Amino acid sequence: MTILRTTVTAILLALLAFAIFGPITNMLIWSVAETWYFPAKLPQSYGFSFWERVFRPQGNAMESLWSSVLIALFTVLASLAVAIPAGLALGRGSLPWRTFFLLLFLLPQAFPSIAVHMNIARIFYGLGLNGTYLGVVLVHTIQGLVFSVWIATAAFAAVDRELEEAAANMGASPFTVFRTVTLPLALPGLMASAIFVFLISLDEFTGTYFVGVPDVTTMPLLLFTASMEGNYQIASITALILLIPSVGFMLFIERFLKSDVLAKVGS
Amino acid sequence: MITRKSSLFLVAPAIVLLGLLFLYPLGYSLLWAFRDEEFGGWGLQNFIKAFGLYSNDILFTLIIVTLSTVIIGTFSIAIGGYLTLGENRVALLVLRWLYRWPLFIPFVVAAQLMRTFLAKNGMMNNIIVSTGLMEPLQAASYLDWRGIVITFVWKQTPFVALLVAGAMAALDRSTMEAARNLGAPRLRILFEIVVPQIATTLMVGLILSYVVMMSVLSVPLMINAQTPTMITVDMAWRINAYSDYGVANALGFISYAMTAVIAWVYLRQGVREGGKPA
Amino acid sequence: MTSKIANLFASAAITLIAASAAQAENVLNVASGGSQNMVDYVTDYLGPLFEEQNPDWKVNVVGTGPGNAGSQAILEKIKAQAGNEAWDTDVVVMTQLKTGEMVTEGLLQQYVGDIDTGKLATRDTSRTALGTDVTGYVMPMFHSQTAIAYNPDLVANPPNSFDELKTWTAENKGAFGYNGIKNGMSGVAFTAAWMYAYAGNTDQLMNGPYDPELKNSWDQALNDLKAFNENVTFTPGNAGTLDMMNRGEIVMGPVWVDMFYTWQADGRLNPNLKLLLPEPGMPGQPYYYAVPAKAEHAEAARKFIALATSPEVQAEGIVKRFNWYPGIDAQHVEGALDQETWNKLFTDVTPEDLAAKGKPFPLGPFFDEIREAYEQKVSN
Repeated sequence: MTILRTTVTAILLALLAFAIFGPITNMLIWSVAETWYFPAKLPQSYGFSFWERVFRPQGNAMESLWSSVLIALFTVLASLAVAIPAGLALGRGSLPWRTFFLLLFLLPQAFPSIAVHMNIARIFYGLGLNGTYLGVVLVHTIQGLVFSVWIATAAFAAVDRELEEAAANMGASPFTVFRTVTLPLALPGLMASAIFVFLISLDEFTGTYFVGVPDVTTMPLLLFTASMEGNYQIASITALILLIPSVGFMLFIERFLKSDVLAKVGS
Repeated sequence: MITRKSSLFLVAPAIVLLGLLFLYPLGYSLLWAFRDEEFGGWGLQNFIKAFGLYSNDILFTLIIVTLSTVIIGTFSIAIGGYLTLGENRVALLVLRWLYRWPLFIPFVVAAQLMRTFLAKNGMMNNIIVSTGLMEPLQAASYLDWRGIVITFVWKQTPFVALLVAGAMAALDRSTMEAARNLGAPRLRILFEIVVPQIATTLMVGLILSYVVMMSVLSVPLMINAQTPTMITVDMAWRINAYSDYGVANALGFISYAMTAVIAWVYLRQGVREGGKPA
Repeated sequence: MTSKIANLFASAAITLIAASAAQAENVLNVASGGSQNMVDYVTDYLGPLFEEQNPDWKVNVVGTGPGNAGSQAILEKIKAQAGNEAWDTDVVVMTQLKTGEMVTEGLLQQYVGDIDTGKLATRDTSRTALGTDVTGYVMPMFHSQTAIAYNPDLVANPPNSFDELKTWTAENKGAFGYNGIKNGMSGVAFTAAWMYAYAGNTDQLMNGPYDPELKNSWDQALNDLKAFNENVTFTPGNAGTLDMMNRGEIVMGPVWVDMFYTWQADGRLNPNLKLLLPEPGMPGQPYYYAVPAKAEHAEAARKFIALATSPEVQAEGIVKRFNWYPGIDAQHVEGALDQETWNKLFTDVTPEDLAAKGKPFPLGPFFDEIREAYEQKVSN
């Protein structure tokens, strides 16, 4: 009975491993395949010539890599700029209708975003923001807003009030208390929110598809184009570049998001 | 320490941003679905055209997303349940390490992975054929509605499973252990003791997944953009090929409606059971 | 920690400023509404050549994607700046349908008379685009043709007409694949060819005059196409059709001739695959170079197009490297090429085939109606 049970468990786990790693392995093979056509089960020849093609300086891959990173950095900046004050108010302040405000930020997650995105694109057209970096950063910021605000709120809520009071009792001004006590203590949580927003921006597809294209191309868009054009090598290499930060974040998420902060998310 | 006034002041920038970049376009999309831009005036023309052109796709979208949600729920309970009630230490360790991998992989990457993996002569079929479980001629492409469902399940299960497993881990273990000591099979404990207690978390995770899948454009575009396809593809097509925002917004309205129906069913369920949905 | 973050943003800001400073030198902005190979053509070949001859210029190319949707994006981009003094796009590369619309809306300028190579393109496609008079506004970048690609190892007797194709797909379910009408023009071309074969009034569809009532007579052809679709595999795009042939998932499908040869040359396609043009023929199209009416660098744009349509560039770039049929008249190009390269263009599809069975796309308004009718009656 135990042997049977162990075998079944092992087989199920093996199937799960195949389901999860099979597609990823397939992509790794594609990224180094030079020629591969039917009926060959594996590539007929391997090599890195497509890597050279992706990373050649005049190619659009490098450009979109830089655009992606730059947009993600500015998205983080914009998110923190609104999320830190909002998180302070929601986590620390005496805000009327606090729950209402918290739920308000959840609203973008409750509607299928594509219909909103295409109308943002239309509004941005009128404002001349379509196809600009600013437009794309704004769209990414709104995507990440619920996460940045909620995590920032939790991070500030988790700061020990007695430490702040102690500092205030020693005569520190409110701003000094914030700068020397509250902010440093909330920093790990804020970093988590920053990293999360960075990742959301890096991976965002639909908003960029409507607002950025064709002038602003990010990595996900490049991957999409390459894939639709049947350039599987280029698509796979791009996918690999996007995969590394995503998987890295997944493996280390617990280190970024401490459980005391996590417990306060959404409360 | 922070007064009401300054609290409102601090939260204002975020609210303004939300208003301008979400509430305003949302209102715009709801309103403009009823606008006849060619001849002016208001009415249902866009909806009539949307149904005339895409009624199959609307149905197809509903089926795909609902089916995916059900499968995701099943797998999440299975994973969370094993993590809570499993006894084989090695298996627990492997599972905990394994299931989360796709968690943050973007949809566009997942679609690309599946596009080559699930093709007729893709890696999956090749491996199944070489193990002798299937004849080469039986190999079929999964790049149709099944491919979309598989990709959605692959990508979204870790998210819901993470929530579910977290909620299960926070449960009081004494009831479970008492039942176990009385000789209750683990499957019964899972469905009679554990799942009812985490139902709210499960539903929240599933509804969030449902909304996300409803608005993913890259997966249907890359896996199966042909007939029938999901309405996200049709929205993008109306805009890109015809600049027809009217029909696109009508389709958007329909996608809101589909989400609203699910939320309503859930809320009603909550009321009937006397519980309060979170 | 905070100072590290501050540093990070500071350096990002510097990069951004540096990037915009680089924009300050003379940049010729090219918008290409075509597949990736058309963008690569400018990035890897034509752009560097132009920069070499004009060292103070940089060429920046933006690809908006294949098919009429890609060209629509350019049209909207230009329309959005209609009120501005100068427009940020200097050269556009577009499909016939959308170029015609842009001429009608007054968004393009006449320039062909001002460049030396203007006389070299005399085919009727350089004067009319699907029924719209575009004389003086356009130079063809290249001509391309759709054809049916097949795997001779698996298809011994390929169908030579649409009737035979119908029978063949009924006997070999799922072995023929095409990309519908939403993803790239090869599927659109197949649909148009189907209408030429079965909807009647073929000549009127191609040459006009436009008759809004004509679409009422298409039901039979569309229903047949719907039935035909039951037996085919749908592919995800122009490239998708080639790719699925490559993966052995389908053995036959409509493709662009140039893409087919390019993929073979790249080692991305089984070298045994062949092409054929079935009766009564399939559409082809040129892509046009045009200059927006208020292009900021119109002078440089004319220079760029003159270079692009010179016999040498057409021979080396268009025919030899990218496997397109030349945009300017063949006799000017043939001389600039070795015979072997020239013949390679006509390996499977002979010049006679091309003359007899290479069709234009339908007249603009018919074209729109066919696509809409397809969505309504075939795919839904």
